[in-house]
Parts: sequence; C-alpha cells; structure tokens
Amino acid sequence: MVRRIDPFGDLPGPDSKEDDALATYTLTRPSALNPWLGLFGDLRRDPSLRPPFHPQDGVFQGTRGVYPLVNLHESEEGYVLTAELAGVAPDNIHVSIEGSTVTLTGERKIEYPADKGTAVHRRERQSGSFRRAFELPAEIDLEHAKATHKNGILTLTLPKSPAAKPRQITIETR
Amino acid sequence: MTTNETREIEARDKEVLMSEDPRTGVVFRPDVDILEEPDAFVIHADMPGASEESVDIQLEKGLLTLHARLAETPSNARTLYAEYRDGSYYREFRLSEDIDATAVSARMKDGVLELRLPKSVSRKPRRIEVQAA
Repeated sequence: MVRRIDPFGDLPGPDSKEDDALATYTLTRPSALNPWLGLFGDLRRDPSLRPPFHPQDGVFQGTRGVYPLVNLHESEEGYVLTAELAGVAPDNIHVSIEGSTVTLTGERKIEYPADKGTAVHRRERQSGSFRRAFELPAEIDLEHAKATHKNGILTLTLPKSPAAKPRQITIETR
Repeated sequence: MTTNETREIEARDKEVLMSEDPRTGVVFRPDVDILEEPDAFVIHADMPGASEESVDIQLEKGLLTLHARLAETPSNARTLYAEYRDGSYYREFRLSEDIDATAVSARMKDGVLELRLPKSVSRKPRRIEVQAA
C-alpha cells in the first residue's frame, strides 16, 4: 500500500504564530565581540542578514524584509538616522527614544477611490503598519534630539548624551 | 495581534535596475501604482529622496520615462550602516497614443510622484444628443 505524504505538511501556514512573532524586531545589547552585532539585531529573521561592519568592504548591506530602510551615520556630535518613508505623512510617524534605543512606528496609508469609474491596473506600492527599533552604541541626549522630514525621508539627529561623549583629561604637572 | 489592528506593511527589496557604474551610480526601479479613471491614467511612483527639482519626466513618441537623482548623503559624517544607498530612480512606460501629451501634469509629495495623464478627447465616451426631427 502506498502512503502519500503531503510535501507541504511541515511548513507553517499563513495563520501560524510565527508570523505574529515577526511583527516586531528584537533588540539585543551590543556584544563585546562584535560591537555592531546589537546595532540592528534582528534575531527572529535570517541571522545571515545581520551586518558585521567591515570598512574595507563598503558599508552597504542589502536587507530583505524590513520597512522602512534606514541608514545610520555618526559624527562627533552624535548619530544621524535616516529612513526612507515615501508617501508617509509626518502625522503617521512616531519616534520614541529611551536611553540608547530608538523606536520608529507608524503607518503607510494608500487609498484609492473605490468608485466604479476607477480601475487599478497595477499595484506595487505596499501599505500597512510598521515598527522597527534600533539600539545605538551610546545614550542619546533626549533634550537635543531632532526629527525632520523632507521628500519622504525622515532624518533623526541624535546627539550623544554628555556622559557618553569622550572627555579630554588634562594632565596636571607639578 | 488584535483583529482591528492595521495589517503590517509587507517589506520588499528595492529593485535595482543597474548595479554600480562609477558614472551613474546605482539605478533603482521605483514601485508604481497605475490607475485608470474615466478621464485619465494616474501613476504614483515611490521615489523617496527625490524632489520636484530632481525629477525629470519625458514623453516622446508614446514612451514615458521617469528619472530622478537622489540627494547625496552628507559627507561630514561617517556611515556606520546602510540599508539604502545614493542613486537614481528610473522607469519607463509605453503608453498608447490615446494620451493627451500636452495636458500631462505631475506633482511630488513626500517622495511620491503623482502623474496625471489625461486621455485624448477622442477616447472619452461622448454622449450623442438625439435631435427631434
């Protein structure tokens, strides 16, 4: 007697709990071995996407399955985080900062009139809610953090808190 | 997740048309939505970072091309991590001749280009009045 085996029986279906778990991204503390490991730690998705920072390779890391896409820069004053959020009005973006953690949440709304006269021929642009959290290597000075929005790009200027900035120590001589 | 929460956005790759060429940089293919209204076609294209000044739209012999150059990232800061990079957006569409090329209008809002392509008058349904004899 031949026993049929369902080849797709083991895969999680659309209702599986795993999809719910992917709705938010986890934070991890920077690891002592690789300081950037915790930067955009994303334990629940493919670990091979996590970027180690190799200056000689260039800093671009293609990333799948994240929205919005972000870039992080550092200057002496602090960090600059930019996010691509085309078509998202500032009212639909929420930024919250706690210590060294920055959380970006919001919703991208795309609505087209549903009247009989309008037909949608092509629909590539995605809409929906998003949530990403980032742990930065240093604490942020909340008082002086700023957010600007232009041409669909959100720019967060995040000065490091005074405690986190390196201090010059004068050597006293006798 | 409660049932009345908004569905989470499905994240997709930025589609790359042309990989790094030292002269042009990376070229991306913007996501578009195309609608047809009774009087016009409407195209929405995602081009974050592009402004009205940096977008170039051409319509020639039925070929519509969209081109935008992204702003360069400030270079005084050191880049720690990048999920998107500088480059251009490019996409082309072949249109039927039923578009009134002289009446095409475009506007940019929050990095989204909205193009309105009115249909030629001859294509719009016309009501023929019946006169009494």
